This record gives sequence, structure tokens and C-alpha cells, in this order.
Amino acid sequence: MTAPLAIRATADFLPERLAELAELPELAELPEDRRQACRDLGIDRIRADPRYDAVELAASAARTVLAETGASPGALLVIGSRAPERLMSSEATRLQALLGLTDALTFSVGGLGCVSITPALLVARGLLAADPGLGDVLVVHGSKPPTPRRYRHPVTVSGDGGQAVLLSRTGPVRVLDIAQATNGAYWNLYTVDFRDRAQADWSEECADLRRYSFTLAMEGRTRLRELYHELLARNGMTAADVTCHVSQNLSAGALRFTEDALGIRLAAACASNLASYGHLGPNDVLLNLYTAIANGELPEGSRAVVFNASPVAAWSLLLVEHGGTEPETHYL
Amino acid sequence: MQTEVPAEDVRAQLLEFVTSLVSTELGPDEDYFAQGLISSLVALELVTFVEHRFGLTVDVADLDLDNFRTVNRLTGFVLAKTAG
Repeated sequence: MTAPLAIRATADFLPERLAELAELPELAELPEDRRQACRDLGIDRIRADPRYDAVELAASAARTVLAETGASPGALLVIGSRAPERLMSSEATRLQALLGLTDALTFSVGGLGCVSITPALLVARGLLAADPGLGDVLVVHGSKPPTPRRYRHPVTVSGDGGQAVLLSRTGPVRVLDIAQATNGAYWNLYTVDFRDRAQADWSEECADLRRYSFTLAMEGRTRLRELYHELLARNGMTAADVTCHVSQNLSAGALRFTEDALGIRLAAACASNLASYGHLGPNDVLLNLYTAIANGELPEGSRAVVFNASPVAAWSLLLVEHGGTEPETHYL
Repeated sequence: MQTEVPAEDVRAQLLEFVTSLVSTELGPDEDYFAQGLISSLVALELVTFVEHRFGLTVDVADLDLDNFRTVNRLTGFVLAKTAG
């Protein structure tokens, strides 16, 4: 029996300033093969705005969702940024202060890179199940790359964006099931060495590109297939019952990899958001899901499976339903 | 059911496929991973080909790069997986 969890509303804050991929300054310092790999990602431009740090991106999205819903969430879950502005201080309580959520139970979740939205949803579901007095949980994240260089070879280009997700027991998008798996063997495949280095020299480095492109990729194929089959089976579904598949914004190649590995077609929203925004970390999948809904790719009453993966290594799937006519069936 | 295929046939099929996959002439002991020719998409095509052509399943436990880095190593892997 899965406790009820639903998304009441989401808001994404995408700052105004654009950076065209072709004009990224770091392209000039890349060797030709890496420069070409970057150009081939399927990303045209990103939002890159130095006026906002990660917390401010998250706060901007949160203010929108709070204003639109009038909600006063009893819990604030902050998906921590990859490179906080300060050590020792708390991004979570800074956001609490910025949002004026004085009475909200406030803490950080994460540790799984782009998959960190999943532990946030798991915690929200647990809190809502454990505390009947809790009405809404607000999950927020500000996505900003951890280094001045936005290209992570050969994976993606990261943009700036904030997201806020208001969760409750009921809402127009129900999270019917959540699956997650991790393999700690890859915990340091990608790292940023920062101690004793000027920030200008920080760079996301892969310890072993062959391990990334082959071993981890092929394990990801197996893990996602297994999780997909398990998720569908335990919900009495087959792939034919899934109207829409959604994934994250890494690259056109990654989208095709997911499609080929699983024998599915991803929502068109994925490729369009990839081209327009690049990678927004844990914010990708719900941005894409809501774009798919807005585009009519997930009509009311139909279900989507949302795929997420991170090189840390973590994989997760969400089974969600847009609207629906038999709410009692979702809370079993 | 697995069908036993002679080693030379396996090697020849793999060499033809890998050469086509990476668009480069390769010797059976050339490490195409070391040459930077394998992206995750190409790896997926390679593993999918091996599974379908030789009727085997590549499990997570099989994902040692040493099983895949050259045509000769891949031939040995296929023969071991299909033996018996």
C-alpha cells in the first residue's frame, strides 16, 4: 500500500538572460573533439544569469507557486545545491527566511545529483503519511552548475533555473508510485576538486570516461529496464497503459539512449526543453512533465512514467497520473 | 536456446559489425574504447547487437570493459556466454 502523494502545483523560474551554446566562452579552451561533442548535445541555449545564486533561483520559483496557490506549507524541503555559496551555513533555513515560512518544518534532502528530486518526493510522502496535521509540503531547488564552466564532457551543458513543487495528498497530478536504485561504486565518477584552487579553475571532471560511457551506461540500461518492469507490474500495468514517457535534459543522445534501451518514445517536451534550457539538474523531469501536460501529451486520466538517472549512480522512476476519474484507486 | 557458433564466425561477425559501428577499420586486437570511439549510444548498439545476434543476455556482472574492448576479447566473451 502506497501512501497518497500528489502535486498541487509547480513553478519554474527561468531567468531572463540567455547564453547561446555556440557562444559559451569555454568552447574556445576545449580540444576539437570535445567542442564538437558539446555542439552535438542538442542544446541551443541555456539560461545563465549571474544575478541569481541557487537559493535565489529556488526562492523565485517558490514565491510564484505560493502566490498562485495561497498555500502555507507546513514543511519546506530544500534539494541542496551542488556547490553552496558558503560552507557551514544553511541553504534550507535561508530559504525559510526568504519565503517567510517561519513555522515550516525545514531541512535539506539530496545527495543523488539530478535524481535528488526522488528522495524529496519520498520524504514528502513519508511526512504526509506520518502527520495527519500536515497539509502541504514545498520542495524547492535552485539549479546552477557547480563550476564556472557549464559543459560537463561528454554529458551536458547546465543552465540556471529554479523550481518549486507543492505537494499534498490530493492534487491534479498524482504520484502513484516511486522506484529508486543506487550503486555506490560510482560515487566519485564525476568530481570537482576545489580545495586550494581558484574558483575559475574549478571543473567537472570524469575520473574514467570509458567507465561512464560503457559500464555505467550499460548498467543504467539494465537498471532502468528492471525498474520499469517492476513499476508497471506492481501497479497492474503494461507499457501499453503508459500514455507518456518523460526523461531528463542531458543530451539528444541521452534521450535516444533511453528510448532505445527501453523501447519507448519520449515526450516531445523533453527535446524542446533540452534545446531551450539545457540541463537543470533535479528540476528537469518535472519541468518536462508539466511541459508535456501543457502540450497535451498527457491528457487527463492518463499515466506517465518519468525516468531519471545520475552518474553518482542513481536511477529513479515515477509513475504519475494526470487527473483521473477514480481517485479512490490511487490511494490503495 | 543457444546455438553454438564457430569462433571464427563469431570473430568475423563482430569485426564486421564493430568496424561498421565506429566507421573505422579495426584489427581484432585494437582497443576501440582506448581510441575514444565508443559513446554510450554506440555501446548500447554494440551490446544490443551481441545479445540479439548470439542469443545471450549481458548482465550487470558482465560489464567488465575487458570483455568488450577488442573484437578478440568480445569473441571470447561471446563464446564463454554461449558455451554449454
